[in-house]
Amino acid sequence: MRTIMLGLSLIFFALSPAVAADLQSNIIGHIQTIKGAVTIKRQGVILSASVGTLVLCKDTLQTGKAAAASVVMSDDSTLALGPNSELVLKDYMFNPKEGKFSFITRMVKGTFSYLSGIIGKLAPDSIRVEMPEGTIVVRGTKLLVSVEE
Amino acid sequence: MKRYVSAILVTFLFSLLISGCAHHSIVVLTPDPNGHVGKAEVITDGGKQLLDKPYGMTTISGRSSAPSPVTVASPEYIAATFSDVLAIEPVPAEKFILYFNSNTVDLVPESKAVFASMVASIKRRGAIAVSISGHSDATGSAELNDKISYKRAHIISEMLVQQGVSSDIMTVTSHGKGNQLIPTADGVSEPRNRRVEVIVR
Repeated sequence: MRTIMLGLSLIFFALSPAVAADLQSNIIGHIQTIKGAVTIKRQGVILSASVGTLVLCKDTLQTGKAAAASVVMSDDSTLALGPNSELVLKDYMFNPKEGKFSFITRMVKGTFSYLSGIIGKLAPDSIRVEMPEGTIVVRGTKLLVSVEE
Repeated sequence: MKRYVSAILVTFLFSLLISGCAHHSIVVLTPDPNGHVGKAEVITDGGKQLLDKPYGMTTISGRSSAPSPVTVASPEYIAATFSDVLAIEPVPAEKFILYFNSNTVDLVPESKAVFASMVASIKRRGAIAVSISGHSDATGSAELNDKISYKRAHIISEMLVQQGVSSDIMTVTSHGKGNQLIPTADGVSEPRNRRVEVIVR
């Protein structure tokens, strides 16, 4: 998968350096564990996910009826999704060099665990979890969340 | 009889109203793998609730009402609701810290042994992701720190490739002095900040 991504980014690079840079900087994590059917909705396209699949900013992760998955972000934070769950990675920025951080997810439905990473240590105020009828301001470190439809 | 029927109807409508079609969200704060308990604030348009005790739990039953008072989630409740999520959580990552001589990309002698055990861990776990981040202390310019911390991270990735680790699973980043292990003021030479951190997953 990563080789494909790299290949793609090389093609993009030949076409437009700006697009390649964009693709690179949009990689924010990867799928670490998986069970059953898990998909990623990316710019309207549904992709099937497997262990090692790279995750981009604004991706929506969806798990099927008997499925589950976990994502590890580049700042080492971890999100796990239970069955019938949907999670949007709305905004993410991890740039310790310039001190820029943001991690905003939307838990649409299902069950989740959240474990904060380096962003939680360096900029705890920049982490927010949105739910259909409320918001969690996460100041670390581990949460379990259930969102019923 | 008529009154009896309407009483049932009212009860039915009332139960519809409270269970309603409203989303029902539950948030539980739990200890992390190191046993540390953090903090989280749950906010709706109707109010907010602070979770800061182990297994503190609050329920949201509508945007306009405040989150419920905090209760303690029982182990039975957590198992019944979250067993699938907890089962899929990754095993904790292993972290290795390698130190460098000032202004160089040379590992200090003790870190050579750490490097060897890191390679062993990557192979034993069949790691699918190795994140390598370079860090500097707070002496020198930001540009120089960025450059040297990137170089340090890059050298480690090359050494791993030489040990047969695929570069496909590695990500290399430079944090400069932006993420110090030992916080110092600018200009302070601190050997423990001249490091590469490697997280093996």
